[in-house]
Amino acid sequence: MIDEVQKVVISLPATAEYVDIVRLNLYGVASKMGFSYEEIEDMKVAISEACNNSVLYAYKESNGLMEVTFETVGDALSITVRDEGESFDSWGMAGQRQGLHNKELNEAQIGGLGFYLMQALMDEVSVENEAGKGTKVVMTRRLMKSEEKV
Amino acid sequence: MNTNKNEKFTATSQVENGTCTVFLRGELDLSVAPDFRQVMEPLALNDKQDLVLNLKDLKYIDSTGIGILLSILKTRHGMQAGFLVKEVPEQIQKLFDMTGIAKFFVAQENSQ
Repeated sequence: MIDEVQKVVISLPATAEYVDIVRLNLYGVASKMGFSYEEIEDMKVAISEACNNSVLYAYKESNGLMEVTFETVGDALSITVRDEGESFDSWGMAGQRQGLHNKELNEAQIGGLGFYLMQALMDEVSVENEAGKGTKVVMTRRLMKSEEKV
Repeated sequence: MNTNKNEKFTATSQVENGTCTVFLRGELDLSVAPDFRQVMEPLALNDKQDLVLNLKDLKYIDSTGIGILLSILKTRHGMQAGFLVKEVPEQIQKLFDMTGIAKFFVAQENSQ
């Protein structure tokens, strides 16, 4: 049997005030799929970090849009956050994509924490960056069957 | 879903016996980060009183919010002034553990 693909696409201003709307939409889609409260909380953080990146880095001079796509593929939820901004220097340096573990307070920096959280909270995360054409973040979380839960 | 979820973010401070406790409520995300930073700055710089953040009613925090907590930690550490977080909800503690900021709060607590 071929898995049925269902899709919800929303397009919103890439400003900080709209990120909570994305979280509310995520809640709707993910709870309908049967994700647990905790799983939804995890995904809320991940999707917000992707949106924050679009809000902060995509559109320097003008106001732009971010497009969020929720796709259910089988028992997985795939979320894509896309903008058409400048996309340079987003997510900081690759080397900073880590947490604050093994760091002293005076050397701890916040840069890259958003990306680190996305990776930690989702099963798969990929970022496509193309100069002048924006950024596309795709992340997936699989629905745990209740019998698989410990 | 809980319709109160979208309550506006607030940070309310209360001073008692030389300790300033700030109660956070709602969602601390990018949209309210500048306001929160502004509220916290004078409190973080006041080394005459201990600073406590009560997170009991905090529903959500993102990396921007965690970044502000990190800068408060640094400021307070630099002044050797007390800073604690209290009543951290499970989901938020998970993010503190995951990012690694949790150990700095523990270190602060031990030095009290």
